[in-house]
Amino acid sequence: MLYLELFIQGIIQGSIYALIALGLTLVYGLLRILHVAHAALFTLGGYLGVLVTNATGSLALAMLVAMVVCGVVGMGLYKFAYEPILGSPPFVPLIASIGLFIASEELFRMIFGPYGLSYAVPPLSGQVALFGTFSLRQAEVLVIVLSFAMIAILGWLSLKTRTGIAWRATVADPEIASSFGIDIQKVRYLNFFIGSALAASAGVLVAVLNNLVEPTMGSVPSYKALAIIVLGGLGSVPGTLAASVALGVIESFGTIYAGNFMDRDAIAFAFLILVLMARPQGLLGKA
Amino acid sequence: MLTVENLTCGYGDIKAVHDLSFAVGTGEIFAMLGANGAGKTSTIMCLAGHVAAMSGSVSLNGTTITNQPAQARVGHGMALVPEGRRVFAELSVEENLVVGGHTVGGPELTANLERIFGHFPRLAERKTQAAGSLSGGEQQMLAIGRALMANPQLVLIDELSLGLMPKAIDACYEVLQALKADGLSILLVEQNTTRVLDIADQVIVLESGVKSWEGTGADADGNAALLEAYLGTAG
Repeated sequence: MLYLELFIQGIIQGSIYALIALGLTLVYGLLRILHVAHAALFTLGGYLGVLVTNATGSLALAMLVAMVVCGVVGMGLYKFAYEPILGSPPFVPLIASIGLFIASEELFRMIFGPYGLSYAVPPLSGQVALFGTFSLRQAEVLVIVLSFAMIAILGWLSLKTRTGIAWRATVADPEIASSFGIDIQKVRYLNFFIGSALAASAGVLVAVLNNLVEPTMGSVPSYKALAIIVLGGLGSVPGTLAASVALGVIESFGTIYAGNFMDRDAIAFAFLILVLMARPQGLLGKA
Repeated sequence: MLTVENLTCGYGDIKAVHDLSFAVGTGEIFAMLGANGAGKTSTIMCLAGHVAAMSGSVSLNGTTITNQPAQARVGHGMALVPEGRRVFAELSVEENLVVGGHTVGGPELTANLERIFGHFPRLAERKTQAAGSLSGGEQQMLAIGRALMANPQLVLIDELSLGLMPKAIDACYEVLQALKADGLSILLVEQNTTRVLDIADQVIVLESGVKSWEGTGADADGNAALLEAYLGTAG
């Protein structure tokens, strides 16, 4: 029973990782930029989730607002921060991205204060009995259901619709894709919108799980999401999903069985190092 | 159909093609020959909008497209079969064709798919397979099929037979004849001179980015000095 509980806790954490890391993978796949500032949208999503829920009482509305606003802010980041330096060597956008992320943490501190915010009435705090003595919090059930649903929808869009096919073609070869009338610029905006909206949804969910948002809540996800996309194989969407869940589960078991001498993040990076020693290209990356 | 006047193009400050003029007529196969580095691929990629034109003009069916972005050109009836085929390796054969018909409406897309699968039964057999798993000849068929999905009037083909088995080359040339019979114009860059001269209506030869010879396919075929010079430079 303990194993099952740990496994399910791992899946919950892995779902959150997946929602954050997907956007990073999408941006890397299309533009070869390590978009560290992506985690700022996760934090912004968390804040919007709490603020809108407290103002209106509706978590669903808060989720929608957070996803749309962060999606638009993500497109703005591309337009004003990345597009002007696309032709530069890869370290230039990377440094710009790190700078943006640090600036965003300070901006959150200045606007929302250093101590963080909580829900006036914590939503979904009841328990859901599953079987036997095993139960989950409503918020945890929401994380699993919502992330599976969103990832399934994204998968369907990219595999079954013409827009999705055009998007995958653009990732594979932008020059040739444009020769068939695909507007590369639109694909990039769409990419940033979807990735940023997913990160925002993760921010809202984490805020519900912890009943807390704070200016630095994005700092651990920012480097852990980088570790996840390396672990999955840079640019590989299925790899990112597999790595997210694997890392969630490993951390969940690790904190119980190795927690005495390694903390959660050390376990995650030890796992990353071990996998990369065996498969330098990542779990599902191409050699 | 396609008129190129005094075109100079290249990368950054480096000019790959100087002051090039030629015209491709409707239903013609127009061949561009030359050694490696002569500027053939630069010319094709400039016509497709991927290499910047520095001066001169390109017009297609009377519309000037010199500075139009690549994605707008397909709407004027131009489609590209690039060097090295560049099929989308991880997409299925059918998905590659759907990308080719990106600008075409839904019902027409279905009709075009059926038409292409009718032309190339091999592609129909493998439509759910990843394009990267096809043989070189099949990939070239797919690259041609993908271009035809856009209902083009002019197809730019860069290195049709490079790296293909003789049988696959035969099949590609049969397809070219069929396209010409359908009234399409074809601008063809090739290294395989003998095959080209059999079917080309017009020929130009590029040397170091400059046009060094032009004439009909028949003229070129009978011109031993030209062939020797050209084949000589081609090594």
